[in-house]
Amino acid sequence: MGTDLRWIHDEHPEGDNLRGNFFGSLVLHGVVAGLVIGLAYFNNRGHSWGEDAATAGAIQATMVASLPLPPKQRELDTGVLTSESPSPAPVVAKEKTEPPPKPDEVAVPEKTKPVKQAPQPTPAPPKHPQPAPPQPTKAATGETAGIRIPQSTIELKNGTASAMVQDRTFGARFAYYVNIVNKVVAQNWYTQEADPRASAGKSVTVIFDIGRDGAPSNPRFGTRSGSPSLDTSAMRAVQRVDSFGPLPAGDHITVEYTFHYTQ
Amino acid sequence: MNFRPARPLAHLIRVALAFAVVLAASVSCTRARAQDWFKTETSSGVSNIRIAVADFKAVSVGDPQTIPLKRTFDTTLFNDLANAGIFDVVSKSMLPQATPGAPGEINLAQWSVAPANAAMVAFGAFGASGGRLTVSGFLFDAKNAQFPQVLAKQYSEDANEGMARQIAHRFADEIIFRLGGGVPGIAETKIYYVKMSGGNKEIWAMDYDGANQHQITHLGTVSLSPRVSPDNSRIAFSSLGRDGFQIRMYSLLLNRMVNFPSAGGGTNLSPAWSPNGRDIAYSSSRTGDPEIWIADSNGGGGHRVTSFRGPDVSPVFNPKTGSQIAWISGRTNLPQLYIMDADGSGVMRMTDGGYATSPSWSPNGQFIAFAWNRKYGPGAPGGQDIYVMEVATKRWIQVTHDIGRCDFPSWSPDGRHIVFANTPGGRASSTRIVSMLSDGTGRRTLTEAGADMPNWSWK
Repeated sequence: MGTDLRWIHDEHPEGDNLRGNFFGSLVLHGVVAGLVIGLAYFNNRGHSWGEDAATAGAIQATMVASLPLPPKQRELDTGVLTSESPSPAPVVAKEKTEPPPKPDEVAVPEKTKPVKQAPQPTPAPPKHPQPAPPQPTKAATGETAGIRIPQSTIELKNGTASAMVQDRTFGARFAYYVNIVNKVVAQNWYTQEADPRASAGKSVTVIFDIGRDGAPSNPRFGTRSGSPSLDTSAMRAVQRVDSFGPLPAGDHITVEYTFHYTQ
Repeated sequence: MNFRPARPLAHLIRVALAFAVVLAASVSCTRARAQDWFKTETSSGVSNIRIAVADFKAVSVGDPQTIPLKRTFDTTLFNDLANAGIFDVVSKSMLPQATPGAPGEINLAQWSVAPANAAMVAFGAFGASGGRLTVSGFLFDAKNAQFPQVLAKQYSEDANEGMARQIAHRFADEIIFRLGGGVPGIAETKIYYVKMSGGNKEIWAMDYDGANQHQITHLGTVSLSPRVSPDNSRIAFSSLGRDGFQIRMYSLLLNRMVNFPSAGGGTNLSPAWSPNGRDIAYSSSRTGDPEIWIADSNGGGGHRVTSFRGPDVSPVFNPKTGSQIAWISGRTNLPQLYIMDADGSGVMRMTDGGYATSPSWSPNGQFIAFAWNRKYGPGAPGGQDIYVMEVATKRWIQVTHDIGRCDFPSWSPDGRHIVFANTPGGRASSTRIVSMLSDGTGRRTLTEAGADMPNWSWK
């Protein structure tokens, strides 16, 4: 009985001990589990960037231009205020600070006492009477009404415009009209039309007639300046005028108009 | 042979001179280019005529009417000359104490020296006796001691407030005509406009300076866009009736409505007179799409001149030639300014974007004034302002800035002024009529709120 219940050692050979197998199995399971976890851990780390050409696709970039915004309006650049581009800001150079001078660099001027000068006595006037100054033979300004030259000159931004009426009595009698003629033509003279390089310092004279209704007619050159652009700008100034206003007297006058171009 | 040694030196000087000239030229060249757009300004460094307006001498002191009428006359004359745009009017505080009434009484030296410094003096005598006004006005050249007289005028009219004002306008127009290069003054012109009263809009009229506002039509409906004929005899406007908006006509000579048959239905808006007064262009939607039509001034012979998809409205004739029409077309979505020949050919687009409305062609045909919202859209900067475009070059300048919405510009017959409707508060009920010089300066409010769509008469 006793033997029956006894652990049969024959079925279990000597080297086959249970404890060793048990721990061996534990170690094996642990190794397998470790392998599985380790492989899983190392396998699922993913690919590094650009490593696998088959799976790494091109990146699609969306440009700003394809945003659903209306296209920009074309700007008229020649007009005033149309330019979108701001005018360039003036370049401001950063102020440099000068290093302070060394104490021995600045020469301290020697203090010198000003030399005192005794006031010079003014010489006494001579006792004998002086000869009287000669009387002027011409009238001084303001004593007469003044002679009016039938010419009128206007200073412009770059240039001088002067009109002369050939009929001298008309110019004296209706000086205001000469002024109006001068003013109106000067207003219509666009000095930008003249080439500044070729026209600087030159003068052109245009002669034209004014009819009874004040309309200028028959403009022609009196003296050409030698700068065609200045000649053209002067001729256009006269041609732009529709009317100077009706003549105060007479049925026509001839006006000589000189345009002087300065820088 | 003696010149030989001097030659290299002369050459050197010549080279140096050429270099200096090129340098100076390049500097002046850049300056000229930077100022290029100043071209369209009316003044290029030329100063205005300095004019002194003396208070007129009261010659009939006994009449109680004289003093108030003379005050009206003096104020009106001063304002007319100040608003003309071609004078620097000497401030009244700088004038000499004397009030000369006749050529013999004036001491020109007083006026031509500081502080007045006047080049011209307007003076005269004003009398009211026996229900008659007698005014004699003179214009003297203060700088010409020998022959000072430029102008002498005499007026005799009934003694009342309106006539005192009228005489001042006439004398001012004479001075402006004489000194302003032959362009007639505008002191006697009228402005026609729409006045809102309750739910109705009626046509009103006033003097150019905002005085004498009075009602023209009494239709009890909505009337829009009055346009006076070139001879000041009739007003064409658009009025809401049984058949919708139709062009209607009011005779200023008969002081009543006159017939203007509308051939078709649809909405008919914004009539415009041709400068010879024979044709009227307007927009009509009788074919379904608003198009420009031209009819005789009595309503017959209407024919269509535009045939594009999209609305075509607000025609205006070129007042100089009468052979061109500027109008607003929406054929490319937002409304833009176009011009064409009066037969519908030669269409040219003038604006390159934004939202353009209500053109007005200047009397000399050179410019078009219109209302423009250059950056149109929600949240866009800026607003609707008045712009002036040179037709030949399509170059433009903005003439109103930061005063709220501006619309319906209309040129004065002298081409020196523009009247327009201004909505400072943004609410339609605050719209008022403002006039200015055509360069945007000298702005004056003419009416209270509730006035819109001004139209300056042709003369």
